[in-house]
Amino acid sequence: MPRQSPADYRSKVRKPVDFDSFWNDVLKQASTIPLEPEILPDPLRTSDDVEVFQVFYTSIDQVRIAAWYCRPVQRAQRTPAMMFLPGYQMDPPIPKEWARKGYIALSVAPRGKLRSNHQFNPGYPNLLTHNIVDRHTYAYRGFYVDTWRGIDFLLSRPEVEPARIGVTGSSQGGGLTITTAAMRPEVRAASAGAPYLCGFVDAIELTHTYPYEEINDYLRLYPERRKDVEETIAYFDGINFADRIACPIIVNVGLQDNVCPPETGYTLFERIGAKDKRLYPYDGHGHDAGRARHTAVADEFFARHLRDREARS
Amino acid sequence: MSPYWDDVLAALARQPARPELEALPLRSTAFATLYGVRLTSLGPYRLYGYLSIPTGAGRFPAIYYAPKYQSVLEIIPQGTANLQRSRYVTFSLASRGQRNADSPYAAMFPGLLTEGIDDAATYAFRGIVADSVRGLEVLLARREVDRARVVVSGNDIALITAALGSGATHVVTTPTLLYRTMELAPKTHAYPLEEINDYLHLHPTRAEAVRRTLAHYDLLGFAPRVTGTTLVMAGAPGSLLDATALRPLAAALRGPVSVYESQQSLYRDGLHSERWMAEQCGIADVPSILPEHWREAS
Repeated sequence: MPRQSPADYRSKVRKPVDFDSFWNDVLKQASTIPLEPEILPDPLRTSDDVEVFQVFYTSIDQVRIAAWYCRPVQRAQRTPAMMFLPGYQMDPPIPKEWARKGYIALSVAPRGKLRSNHQFNPGYPNLLTHNIVDRHTYAYRGFYVDTWRGIDFLLSRPEVEPARIGVTGSSQGGGLTITTAAMRPEVRAASAGAPYLCGFVDAIELTHTYPYEEINDYLRLYPERRKDVEETIAYFDGINFADRIACPIIVNVGLQDNVCPPETGYTLFERIGAKDKRLYPYDGHGHDAGRARHTAVADEFFARHLRDREARS
Repeated sequence: MSPYWDDVLAALARQPARPELEALPLRSTAFATLYGVRLTSLGPYRLYGYLSIPTGAGRFPAIYYAPKYQSVLEIIPQGTANLQRSRYVTFSLASRGQRNADSPYAAMFPGLLTEGIDDAATYAFRGIVADSVRGLEVLLARREVDRARVVVSGNDIALITAALGSGATHVVTTPTLLYRTMELAPKTHAYPLEEINDYLHLHPTRAEAVRRTLAHYDLLGFAPRVTGTTLVMAGAPGSLLDATALRPLAAALRGPVSVYESQQSLYRDGLHSERWMAEQCGIADVPSILPEHWREAS
């Protein structure tokens, strides 16, 4: 039987009534922790056109977070900035390509990632189900905050233009782009590719591939915990953050995505609160979500929202 | 092969693997059992892998997922249908420095490609190649494996493993790191090859030493020893490692070879390699072991 169109899919995601108060409380806890930023030049990675730094800052639970920070050598006194968020399994890249496009760029390694795993290291696979029965200690509680604190780091830098900060990423980076754009009004433009962490309860029925399969593995071994699991993940589902997004945003999905089902991307897009939003579905593409064609679209989108004023001034 | 690699293989042969299996109920299903495997490689260094054995009697075709260039060790590659494990024995290995094999040595990404690169005797990939050869040996020792259908899959390390080890009947290789590296790195700013540019930018006087080390690792030197049927996954036309660039490699492989040029779609590219492996291994009903969102087209 042919698959139903992903646009017609009816999601099972439901927003907990205390969703906003839960996250406001987390933000309040995080706000009491000094950022303590540290920025170390990295001569090995620095090139003639891009300065590279290793960055560290403190996040919730006092976990020290690593990041890569790149600056174009030729730049304005205040320069637009881009935060890049990583996929589930990828090692956070050095975002030199964004610096070469004229942005100051931060690539965050949330807790558990390489260089941020000294205090917290549930491993891969395992991150997705680490403490998944308790929203107050679930792995992604801190993980999300780590990315939001990246915005605080950018705002602490005198060379960053604070009114021109963008966020982007694909897969888990796409999901984190959604949650960051939702929770940090300082974000002025966002581009989310193949968003993961959106529609957990739908995805584990729609596909049986890792990483979502980690949850199916967990529920197969511990079926009695299903209610607790479903209760927790509702607080972390990007779809439930989406109505808070007010900045311009684009979302790209692959209609044959075998990792993050396109049905979840459509549901997410429908729930996004921003008026200026656009979905780019790519037929014939999987988890790449049409990256080869979409890169130019995203570049133009960010240039229009973050750099046009710079060009005019 | 060469005195360099003869020495590595001889040293590896002196080191027993001593594999140790532990069943992992969390990742086991009705159709496959997953084991964590600890094994010893050159050094001695204790490695880790995930071994999945299908439920049922008989021997099964096997896929050996050679170590990738990333810190994370996957059970099967992200996006692969879990049901793949119902038809193949799969074994994925973390080489030294990767997660689960990162003590005492934790590799950095980026960073690993140039670790110790100015001396072939200390280059990080010397141990990594030995690890991968050892992984294939351990897999082939399993009685569940049909030794007539053994696919080694991965990047450059897959091809090198098939050349230095024995028993790979098929190879799926995506050259990324070790093909004409010194020539191609200056033509890109993209990692991982950018690591070479970074290194030589900071240490320009070491260029000749780096060239000497990489000469031991160039895929062209290994290709004549690969007798299995090989699928070369090339980059998209016009990219650094497209089919044209890889033509000399394909020509040097001793066994039957086909070259697939990327369509810049993980769906189309992934579907091609999944079908190829299934066809080579005589697996019927391929759609049943594909991800749900790939089945309609198959």
